[in-house]
Amino acid sequence: MARITLENIRKAFGKVQALDGISLDIKDNEFFVLFGPAGAGKTTILNCIAGITMPEEGTISFNGEIMNLIDPAHRNVAMVFENYALFPQMTVYDNMASALRSKLYREDEAVIKERIDKAARMMKMEKLLERLPSQLSNGQKQRVAMGRALVRTPNVFLMDEPLAHLDAKLRNSMRTELKEMQANLGSTCIYVTHDFMEAMALGDRIAIINKGKIVQIGSGDEIYYMPCNEFTAELMGDPQINIIPAEIYKSGSGYGAEMIVNGSKVRHELPEDKGVFAKIQERGLVKVDLGIRPQHIKYAFAPADGYFKTTVYSYESIGNKSVITAECGAYQLRMIAPNGLNVDIDSDIYIKLELDRSILFDPDSKKYLTRYDEEAIKSFAVKEVQ
Amino acid sequence: MKTGKQRALNVLMNVLLIIYAIFALFPLLWMLLISFKSDTEVFTTTFIFHPTLANYQQVLLRSDYARYIRDSLIVSGGAVLVSIIVGVPAAYALARYNFARKEELAFQILSYKFAPEILVVLPLFMIYQKLGLYDSYIGLIWVYQLISLPLLIWVVRGYFEDISVEIEYAAQVDGYTWYQIFFKMLVPLIKPGLVSSALLAFIFAWNSFTFPLILASSKVYPVTVAITKYLGTDSAHYGQLAVAATVSAIPAMVFALCIQKHLVRGLSFGAVKG
Repeated sequence: MARITLENIRKAFGKVQALDGISLDIKDNEFFVLFGPAGAGKTTILNCIAGITMPEEGTISFNGEIMNLIDPAHRNVAMVFENYALFPQMTVYDNMASALRSKLYREDEAVIKERIDKAARMMKMEKLLERLPSQLSNGQKQRVAMGRALVRTPNVFLMDEPLAHLDAKLRNSMRTELKEMQANLGSTCIYVTHDFMEAMALGDRIAIINKGKIVQIGSGDEIYYMPCNEFTAELMGDPQINIIPAEIYKSGSGYGAEMIVNGSKVRHELPEDKGVFAKIQERGLVKVDLGIRPQHIKYAFAPADGYFKTTVYSYESIGNKSVITAECGAYQLRMIAPNGLNVDIDSDIYIKLELDRSILFDPDSKKYLTRYDEEAIKSFAVKEVQ
Repeated sequence: MKTGKQRALNVLMNVLLIIYAIFALFPLLWMLLISFKSDTEVFTTTFIFHPTLANYQQVLLRSDYARYIRDSLIVSGGAVLVSIIVGVPAAYALARYNFARKEELAFQILSYKFAPEILVVLPLFMIYQKLGLYDSYIGLIWVYQLISLPLLIWVVRGYFEDISVEIEYAAQVDGYTWYQIFFKMLVPLIKPGLVSSALLAFIFAWNSFTFPLILASSKVYPVTVAITKYLGTDSAHYGQLAVAATVSAIPAMVFALCIQKHLVRGLSFGAVKG
């Protein structure tokens, strides 16, 4: 139950700058997700907050109190480690009781039992309490690691990919439980993941981390609909967003976009949107990268008006739907299709882009320029967090 | 059901093992037999002789044998104890911390075992004379560190390296101090390695001959050196010699049996832990 503030945290391991000026302000009771590719520095941020790693520069404060020189034991944080870090010589029960039996956080055995039973019920592992960690599967170990944190009432929960090794069904139910539990307990939670669904579902706010720097902070919707650059856009969403290089040309009172598809030029009128057109005019844009999500690409297997022709590169099922990838020369387009289509590789396919859903990026800096319906999206996606 | 081939293989394996067991145990048996023979029968009989306890009476009751055993226990036990107290923290440091020339230091510790004892014992003899460590318990315990410390450090270091550092972090976050973590979390995990290497170190120290022969004389008399007393200049009392050797093997065996449970687990623990 604390507000966690990081100011300009820097940390290097040898020549690798793991954290390069991280500043975060995590509000009391917030569920804050750190999201980014492997090696981005997410775990190092958690370690700094827990006190395991000492940053070389910058301050970490809990409720305004600077914690840099406080050792991990006295920070009162509960951490779930990615590799579980269970004590091999202790039973599951003793593992979970470990913190509550230490001098600093001592509780009565009766209280301990009650809390452990509650956590075990929530994680469906009542029958495992007498086992040793070596007798558990990875998913079960992960739940024990979670349980060891959840029995406590810390300043902040630090969770490093706590659901990564669970099976899909359990992961979904745990995700729901976790969100509810966090709301009930009223505690701050910092959660590291590389699964964007988890990030979107759990996070009050999400911070995108890459190469030790914060790329973007915002609500899940904000980051999904208004990614600050192409990197973020590609990270959020599966299959990932299509980025299509295009040239802007003047067309009557509006504009059009010209793309190269398999060596030939394809022209599309840009749908009218005040914000987009104003931006194009104001910046004098000649080249843009168009970002279009796979669900906003239409396809047909016969020529149709407004569709351009290309060939199928692959067709693969991802469960309840499938992804068609179309070859366009310098790039490929991914689009969502139903299962069970009879699609042959290298056969012709006709594609139409729903340009009125696209996001415009600067092709040089890769940064967000604008998008269609920006005002409307802003009004629901961008929330001020108290 | 086992096939004939498997059964034949099984029989063959057991026969080979029995042959090896006889080969390995025969010297011990021979020693035991001699210990019951009188001096006149040592060379003239094999299995059929007139058993006598005279050798045992002579060695155990009419000589200072108990004192020799006690001296051996003090120096060997003391050496192992010092090795544990010094070696476990050293192994922890070598496993966990990064410091300049770490590997060189670890290798140097190991290199203490390279040189034959006879090579270093003469300079040591002169140093010990000057320092007043000659013929003292402390002197022998100290020099036995050359035998026991490298072994213990290298085995225990491997065990520390097998423990993921996150376990220590998790315990820190749970509110434990470093000392509590060390004794509650880490020591149980390294115990198999610690016990097996301590046992081996004890046996090596117990069997050490060169160091006590040269670096001790009348005040400290470990049993390995004492045994030579039964080889007189004019006559060799092989019977008494056999008694002394037989009895001196007992403490190490008792020690090994007591910690056998840990020993077997200890030698396989590092291998199966995935």
